[in-house]
Amino acid sequence: MLLLDYHNVLIHSLLTERFSGSTPVSIDQIVSDFDGVTFHLSTPESKTKILISIQVKCFRELVQYGAQQVLEREYGPYIVDPEPGYDFSVLIDLENLPAEQEAKDDLIMRLALMKRNAMAAPFERAFDEFAKLSEEASRYTTESAPQGVKEGGEVMAIHYREEEAMYIKASHDRVTVIFSTVFREETDRIFGKVFLQEFVDARRRVLTLQNAPQVLFRNDPPLELAGVPGLQNVNDGTLSYVTFVLFPRHLTPQRRYENISHIQIFRDYFHYHIKASKAYIHTRMRKRTADFLQVLNRARPENEERERKTASGRTFRVQG
Amino acid sequence: MASQTPAVVMDNGTGYSKLGFAGNDSPSFVFPTAIATKAGAGSAAGSGPGRPPVANKPSFLAGGAGASSHLSGKRGTEDLDFFIGDEALAAANGPGYGINYPIRHGQIENWDHMERFWSNSIFKYLRVEPEDHYFLLTEPPLNPPENRENTAEIMFESFNCAGLYIAVQAVLALAASWTSSKVTDRSLTGTVIDSGDGVTHVIPVAEGYVIGSSIKSIPIAGRDITYFVQSLLRDRGEPDSSLKTAEKVKEEYCYVSPDIVKEFARYDREPDRFLKHTVTAPNGRSVSIDVGYERFLAPEIFFNPEIYSSDFLTPLPNVVDGVIQSSPIDVRRGLYKNIVLSGGSTLYKDFGRRLQRDIRHLVDARIRASEARSGGARSGGLDVAVVTHKRQRHGPWFGGSLLGQTPEFRSYCHTKAEYDEIGPSIVRRFALLGGPGSS
Repeated sequence: MLLLDYHNVLIHSLLTERFSGSTPVSIDQIVSDFDGVTFHLSTPESKTKILISIQVKCFRELVQYGAQQVLEREYGPYIVDPEPGYDFSVLIDLENLPAEQEAKDDLIMRLALMKRNAMAAPFERAFDEFAKLSEEASRYTTESAPQGVKEGGEVMAIHYREEEAMYIKASHDRVTVIFSTVFREETDRIFGKVFLQEFVDARRRVLTLQNAPQVLFRNDPPLELAGVPGLQNVNDGTLSYVTFVLFPRHLTPQRRYENISHIQIFRDYFHYHIKASKAYIHTRMRKRTADFLQVLNRARPENEERERKTASGRTFRVQG
Repeated sequence: MASQTPAVVMDNGTGYSKLGFAGNDSPSFVFPTAIATKAGAGSAAGSGPGRPPVANKPSFLAGGAGASSHLSGKRGTEDLDFFIGDEALAAANGPGYGINYPIRHGQIENWDHMERFWSNSIFKYLRVEPEDHYFLLTEPPLNPPENRENTAEIMFESFNCAGLYIAVQAVLALAASWTSSKVTDRSLTGTVIDSGDGVTHVIPVAEGYVIGSSIKSIPIAGRDITYFVQSLLRDRGEPDSSLKTAEKVKEEYCYVSPDIVKEFARYDREPDRFLKHTVTAPNGRSVSIDVGYERFLAPEIFFNPEIYSSDFLTPLPNVVDGVIQSSPIDVRRGLYKNIVLSGGSTLYKDFGRRLQRDIRHLVDARIRASEARSGGARSGGLDVAVVTHKRQRHGPWFGGSLLGQTPEFRSYCHTKAEYDEIGPSIVRRFALLGGPGSS
């Protein structure tokens, strides 16, 4: 498994089973997802009505950046009042499903992607803003552009984890996405550094990757973030910033959907691979230990001195 | 933030792994503990396909060029090219992949595979960041402490999980029985009868500690019942007697009868007890087979093993009685009073009732004999109770879920910081979860 899925496997498999017309049973499951997202699947009223609620840590920020509109667009008719303790709920009536299998599959997939869709709002807004700014900028030359167009939009900060945040900023020629990452483990920090450096270098080295977004990696806050409140400037090496620069070719409407999914999962992908490489190194360590043990087992002296006994019980040494 | 996330409960068994979150009433995922890797299957280590015999040496000593060796020579991302669970079974049918079962007889044999199995379970299926969650893992009774340490090394060093608790399956099965209305006091003393697919264990547990010397296993379990049903179907010459059909018949129609002789007579009197089972083949054809005496005969092999096997002849009630009699005398009363069933092969209707009756007969007979020998002394009697409950199938997982959601669970775990301070040996001891003193 090289890439992580964007959708929640459990919601997907559970709904696929329910939608296929098996006998309804009551469900009450709490499901976790990356970035501290919690789902609650339940059948509060009757067995045919499934309530899916999501709780996202940074939901208030997301709403500020238009998450409600995105979710309404995706789940329009299914939305109900949020369950207490959760941020957003949809209610699916199994007796009132789309008739065609394709529409059903589409609905299942959309529900399984609920986390992605909730988090997608700031990206969509940034991409729209980019479109607007680039259109405006095309009317000016570089020098004559007014301040607002040159500088680009505001920085949208999404504090999706306790200590880590994601910053998105749209300009007229690019969209910049910055992740701040924290490593509490020293080993992880080293792994992380190697990985991030590789992200930076790979693009330079491999020709086919020239079209990939530019990746920058540094330990102090990038200049784009100057003036963003709540930015910790601790320079002890635990905090680092990864910047993705998305160019217009990544922002075309047909690429948007994929790109949002890709960049959202970046942190999890990154951490997954750090752990996978540790597992790989452990495999090699175990193998090496086994080899050494084998060598040790083979290393027996050829002629071991043995004591022999006579019938009367006296011992003597065998010569040569 | 970490205080909000539910604990992850993983019960990795020989056959199936149960994964889920504490607080839920059923595991989120149940799939085979299997991993399909590129080429070089488990059979490459010199043991044959299917169920290879137990190696008399640990696998890493059996030869450096064994199954795991191919990986370390690779430099690319080959180590990520694998599948687990149902996907592994599907991949192994195609070319290029070989299937491996990292757990044998309840114990982890191949740590390389297990590490990757866990990595995939956590990141692909459960989708959690181990840093944010506490983990509750299970282990079989009599698991060597070295295995615990290896587990802790992987969980803490590879995955940086926030906290870890390793519980014994039998103890969790006892905790799962607290949901039954028959259980009034939440004690961790009792006898667990854990019958899965491969083997049945009878495990006495006193105050949360397994009495290792008294554990008995019985070589009769789910798979044997399936074989027995299959042989009955074959003898009768049914049109379809595949293993899959036998399994279906076993799961859907079998029950435990109080007395097989009377049951035979009843079947002759009431012909509507004979059922028809329709098998639909993948190609769309369907055949109907008769289902008759095997409905009650199949589970009967627990109580009368002689009808199935010729080398193991002790009925289950006698084994349970023997186990309790070999335990320390001061806990026997508690062990008789709380006999808990766990595992898929204990789900037959009236299984518990029959077991309870048979054990009570044995106990009463012994009491009467000793009363007669003592010449007039009266015994106060002995209470025998077999507890059946709704969560039997995934008993250990459910027990884990139950204990994992308690507020004090986290204080019983060893955290990453403690592990870093003390090292792997820290997991040799865990405070007893749900034991005396906790609410």
